[in-house]
Amino acid sequence: MRVAFLVNDLQLSGGIGVVVQHALQLVRRHGFEVTLVLVREQDDPHWAYEPLRDLHILSFPQACEERYDIAIATWWETTYSLFDVPAERYAYFVQSLEDRFYEPDAAERVGAGLTLDLPVAFITEASWIAGTLAELRPDALCMLVRNGIDKETFAIPEQLDVRRLGPLRVLVEGNPRSWFKHVHDAIDAASAMREPHHLTVVCGDREGLGEVVADAVVGPLSADEMAALYGESDVLLKLSSVEGMFGPPLEAFHKGATCVTTPVTGHEEYVEHGWNALTCDWDDLEGTARLLDLLARDRSLLHLLRTNAMHTARGWPSWDQQGALMALALRRIRDAPAPGGLGAARALMSDLSAGVHLYAAHMQERKELAHQARLVMRLRKNPAMAWAKRQRNRRWARIATWPLRRLMPGTLRRLLGP
Amino acid sequence: MTDWQERITAGTDPSVRAEHTLRYAVAGPVVAQAGTWCDLGCGLGLAAEWATDGPFGGRLVLVDVDEASVVQAAAHLRAGDVTALSADLDEPAGRAAVRAAVLDGPGPRAITCFEVLEHVRDLPGVVELLVELATEHATTVVLSVPNDAFWAIENPFHETTWSAGAFGELRAMLPAEHVYAEQLPLRGSRITVGGDGGDGGYEPGAIEPAGGAAASHFIAAFGPAAGELRGGAQVFEADQHGERAWTRQREANLAHLEAQVADWRTYIHDLEDRLGLPRAGSEAAMALERRGE
Repeated sequence: MRVAFLVNDLQLSGGIGVVVQHALQLVRRHGFEVTLVLVREQDDPHWAYEPLRDLHILSFPQACEERYDIAIATWWETTYSLFDVPAERYAYFVQSLEDRFYEPDAAERVGAGLTLDLPVAFITEASWIAGTLAELRPDALCMLVRNGIDKETFAIPEQLDVRRLGPLRVLVEGNPRSWFKHVHDAIDAASAMREPHHLTVVCGDREGLGEVVADAVVGPLSADEMAALYGESDVLLKLSSVEGMFGPPLEAFHKGATCVTTPVTGHEEYVEHGWNALTCDWDDLEGTARLLDLLARDRSLLHLLRTNAMHTARGWPSWDQQGALMALALRRIRDAPAPGGLGAARALMSDLSAGVHLYAAHMQERKELAHQARLVMRLRKNPAMAWAKRQRNRRWARIATWPLRRLMPGTLRRLLGP
Repeated sequence: MTDWQERITAGTDPSVRAEHTLRYAVAGPVVAQAGTWCDLGCGLGLAAEWATDGPFGGRLVLVDVDEASVVQAAAHLRAGDVTALSADLDEPAGRAAVRAAVLDGPGPRAITCFEVLEHVRDLPGVVELLVELATEHATTVVLSVPNDAFWAIENPFHETTWSAGAFGELRAMLPAEHVYAEQLPLRGSRITVGGDGGDGGYEPGAIEPAGGAAASHFIAAFGPAAGELRGGAQVFEADQHGERAWTRQREANLAHLEAQVADWRTYIHDLEDRLGLPRAGSEAAMALERRGE
């Protein structure tokens, strides 16, 4: 079977890593012919990952000359190009509800949401996404194929070492530029600990991270290096507000680390509070710090959580198993009738209607702000205001306006302009 | 020590045997209406006899990768027509042979596939064969996998690891109208009056539910007669002799190891005293440890 995965680029990221793992499994174990189609012009070199050599990598124009059994979008923007790639069936591998990556008034938010209304079959990697898609698109075929774990790289230790002494080794990882990862909040929470601790931050983007208080800042790291670091850590701290399958804690579990996490989407798949990890409240950095303190003090609890985390990892499937399920899912999609357009059109128009209302509300707000801005500009052009602006830094003017500046700081500056 | 026995024999632990026989008993109504019944991974056929009240009237296809087991199963089980097939389900040729043998018999057809999927490497190949037979050839399939994740046991004989989540993924690949069931372990007790084990005065009926129960196995049935699947329970007499032997062995090993640790501790303390070091576990030693000395 010929399958094309459409990707924006081949840079190292969790999402691309999952696509590449599935592609490799399909090629090596299930006799598929898999092409990674780069839908954007590439400025940066590909992720230097040896197994990529086993896969066809084509540009979008090249892929348009081919024909596939299934073409699969892997990120909402790749759906722009999906239907230009000749294929018998079209599918969408949904790794998160990507509209949540954007602020409420960002145009991309509406766009990302609308892509879930396309007439395609869905494959997703998390139960919560599968459940959401089933509600949003009851007409569409939706398959759940969770991400596997590389059981060689993240090999489970035969015996878990007991860590009775030393500072609690806390690990924070994530992209600091992604607002929903709350990396800086996690660093602040760890810094607010009262018990001895050692904080390591893993970050491939030092500029984005900025100056932080941590015992070590490392990265970017290879998967092997990450596995070794998890093995040295006691606890992974994650305060994300948006996650898809939520893979990092599971990788940490494989190496015998537990996790302190927000109850973010994806955690419900395998995190059990008080059994293999601790869940903290949203936006509660002090409370999170106290949970970390508890683990630092109560080494018996820490060992219990680490032990159960490791057993949870043992029950999680490998990439081999999940590759087999992906093969089954793709064959099922190929054999199923092409999706009808009615359900998709209904969903699309419903979401478009909501999007138009949202857009209209934003435009109205903008118009009102523009009106206010015009009034302020007209006021500033008044000769009296121009005179006041010239006089404002004089000693007598500063004395006269002192009560106003004291009571309403910034008002004069905003009124008179810079 | 963990018992990695993967075949049901006369010596298999009663609880494991009961789990296995119950699955066949529950599949009984599906088998009863079949003209052809195929048991994938039949082993020695000891559990399969629970699927019927007596000899199976139609064509019985027994499949296992181990030829000797299939031969024994064929000798053990009685049916109008028995086909013993040694086939490797990981190989396309093996699956083709099974498909041909099943379709060669009269319909309607039934396939029992208990505790097989976790052993196959080509999971897509086997699942596709079962789904094809169910959807295109009026075959009812009843399959099961163990809940490996609950006890987090790494079984060296299992190619795949199953859990509620993993079985959920598999169910998405099965026909939408499939029947889903969970198998839950029971614990019980029995009273015999006058030493007579067969009085049958009080048969177990009501089962007291417990909030902490977790599925030991997940079961799915699909095909025309999948709706025939009914729940059931089976009790067994515990192998107290076996359990006692195992428990005593564990106790003895533990006691032996504890004594060994005590001996070593005495020796270490003696050594520490002679070297002028604080005793391990003492406050002084902990303080040294904290300072990394």
